[in-house]
Amino acid sequence: MKIEDTINNLRQLNFDLKYEVKNNNELYVRIKSEQIRKIALICIDVFKFNYICEFTAEGERPTIEGKEFIVNCVFSNSKRGYYVIWSYVTEKAPISLENIIYQSNLFQREINSDYDYKVKEVSGTDAYQVAVGPVHAGIIEPGHFRFSVMGEPIENLEIRLMYKHRGIEKQCTNINANLLNLMFERVSGESTVAYGEAYAILVEKLLNKEVSKEIKALRIVLLELERMYNYMDDLGGIANDIGYSYVAKKFGYFSEIIHQLCERVSGSRFMRNGIVPLGINIDFNEKKKKDIIETLDSIKARVNSIIKMSFNAVSFLDRVEDTGMVSTAMAKKFCMTGVVARASNLKYDVRLKFPYELYKEIKKDINIETKGGVFERYKLKACELKDAFDFIEKALSYINKDIKRDKQEICLKEGLEAIVSVETVKGELVVYGLVGKDNRFNRIYFKTPSFTNWTGMTEAVLGEIVPDFPLINKSFNMSYSENDR
Amino acid sequence: MNNIFDRIKYGTETIKDPLHNNEFSYGKIIAKENICNNCGECMSICTVGAITINIGTNGENIVKINNKKCIYCRNCVDICSESVLKMTSDYKMAELELAGDKLREKIYKIYNRSLVLRVVDTGSCNACMSELSALHNTFYDISRFGINVVPSPRHADALVVTGVVTKNMKEALEKTYQAMAEPKIIIAVGSCAYNGGIFKDGDGVYDVLNNILPVDLVIPGCPPSPQAIIFGLLKLMNKL
Repeated sequence: MKIEDTINNLRQLNFDLKYEVKNNNELYVRIKSEQIRKIALICIDVFKFNYICEFTAEGERPTIEGKEFIVNCVFSNSKRGYYVIWSYVTEKAPISLENIIYQSNLFQREINSDYDYKVKEVSGTDAYQVAVGPVHAGIIEPGHFRFSVMGEPIENLEIRLMYKHRGIEKQCTNINANLLNLMFERVSGESTVAYGEAYAILVEKLLNKEVSKEIKALRIVLLELERMYNYMDDLGGIANDIGYSYVAKKFGYFSEIIHQLCERVSGSRFMRNGIVPLGINIDFNEKKKKDIIETLDSIKARVNSIIKMSFNAVSFLDRVEDTGMVSTAMAKKFCMTGVVARASNLKYDVRLKFPYELYKEIKKDINIETKGGVFERYKLKACELKDAFDFIEKALSYINKDIKRDKQEICLKEGLEAIVSVETVKGELVVYGLVGKDNRFNRIYFKTPSFTNWTGMTEAVLGEIVPDFPLINKSFNMSYSENDR
Repeated sequence: MNNIFDRIKYGTETIKDPLHNNEFSYGKIIAKENICNNCGECMSICTVGAITINIGTNGENIVKINNKKCIYCRNCVDICSESVLKMTSDYKMAELELAGDKLREKIYKIYNRSLVLRVVDTGSCNACMSELSALHNTFYDISRFGINVVPSPRHADALVVTGVVTKNMKEALEKTYQAMAEPKIIIAVGSCAYNGGIFKDGDGVYDVLNNILPVDLVIPGCPPSPQAIIFGLLKLMNKL
């Protein structure tokens, strides 16, 4: 169903709509607040759209009672690759989409700044609670977990986050658009390149410009390098939580090799300030190309053999198989994205559905697993890691000449708005930007992959024992930082 | 069995000297003397306000870069038309604060040889945490220097803090600090921890660590590389 069909269909249903199509694949529709429930129902049940997010256009709900504010509700059609943004004006709280979209309450809670947590009580013989955090017993970010346990199995898990809330979205509106990529990169450290890429394609979409094919290919190299060291850390982490230290340490070593390669290529171990709008901030030459190819060749066979080693270990399989299951229906209900959702048989990858850079030519199909347990996530991460080797090789074949560092001054027109998505390591990142005065943004909204995926974990741990929790947590490996923002 | 074959085939991975010169690393930004024309471009492009230009006694412009504030984005180096600023590969930027120096003497009289850390993240972007966990990989293997991370503040000599202190984490940070046994060392890892870095003006930010707890060791960087962290910790332990 194309964009036009969506409008026509809604017209036939007697909705009186004011709409506008922007940037080719964004449909902005203004509706009345009482229509949103009906429309949400139609979007989900009839049009089969994906629910993405809800946010206020102003950044936060006005503190004065009775003052009007706008709520945007975003859906996407992944088959045709476009977004639909429904916006309505309301005076009180945003209209509840209860019973239509389960995850809507997460976003509405954020709009209402309602962070009162009520821990569900579990009562009965052998019922007790285990409280963990906010400061954990290792090198991990802060978050509070409350397990309600009946004897051995976990009956309920409440996750309390937002300890790291810094107000990044609001800070983004105070920084000049030429420097904003620095802020984007620091939303989540391990997805630095993906966030930089999101900002670059956001600005390019606003200005309706494209970069050269060589730069696009180089961006893919950086993005896939980032995917590599993250998945290596994840695989190592899962092995570490099981106690298979040989595999854990080897993946740690590979990740270090990739980090050092990144340092040699871009001057930063996390490739910070590498991708900039309308260009790239890295000098790339034949020597660096050769370095990448040689380094990856030197570890490729070994990575495969270590992955195989873990698949052959019975003690390893015993722990991971049938642990932390999330069914397809649940994954869909929780709007999960990324590797975690693909492990539960949801066939969705931004790199194919909303292709950016050269992914249309490079990536051909989506890797999925069906069962949705820790082992499936492990297998899928290993599979994505192997893919990353191929993608880098393919992308490098597009680069046949030296690339000069190219950073252009950008100047944005007031009132422009756009929405883009990028497949980060954790899943689908959606960024909305509305340009304001003085080359600054009036509103930046991040729908980060971890924000909805965290709910998936509360489902995955049910019925498991508490000692399996670290393993399940590591197999999800969500970022607290990007969730809290 | 496979483990043993793999081990024999590839040998040792740990490097002997983790503090070797790394020409690819980012590091201290230095300014050449006597050529700055005070155009102010670098000051306006710096998002964290790490650059100051003073006028010296002979009327020349002296550029100063605060290493503890800098986030090492290189924008100032790129924009300078006179190429006054230059990024070196000198990652050895960790500095002991005055109080830390005295404390160090006291601690190492009692227990020399080891340092036990407790890590608290109060609002970083997770890059500093990744680098801290990278210290434990087989390449750097920090435990051979007697440095370990423990799960309880009661067992720790030093508290490692990453990231700016948010309103929501302030209480947790203070409780962790109080739970530690005297004498205690505070280590700020990353520019955000000490000076707030890019998040300084955020809505949810309470204050920077420097104003809350007495910081003894600062390891600047965004994020500081494992080499820089090892350098800082060894400096604290008097092992250089």
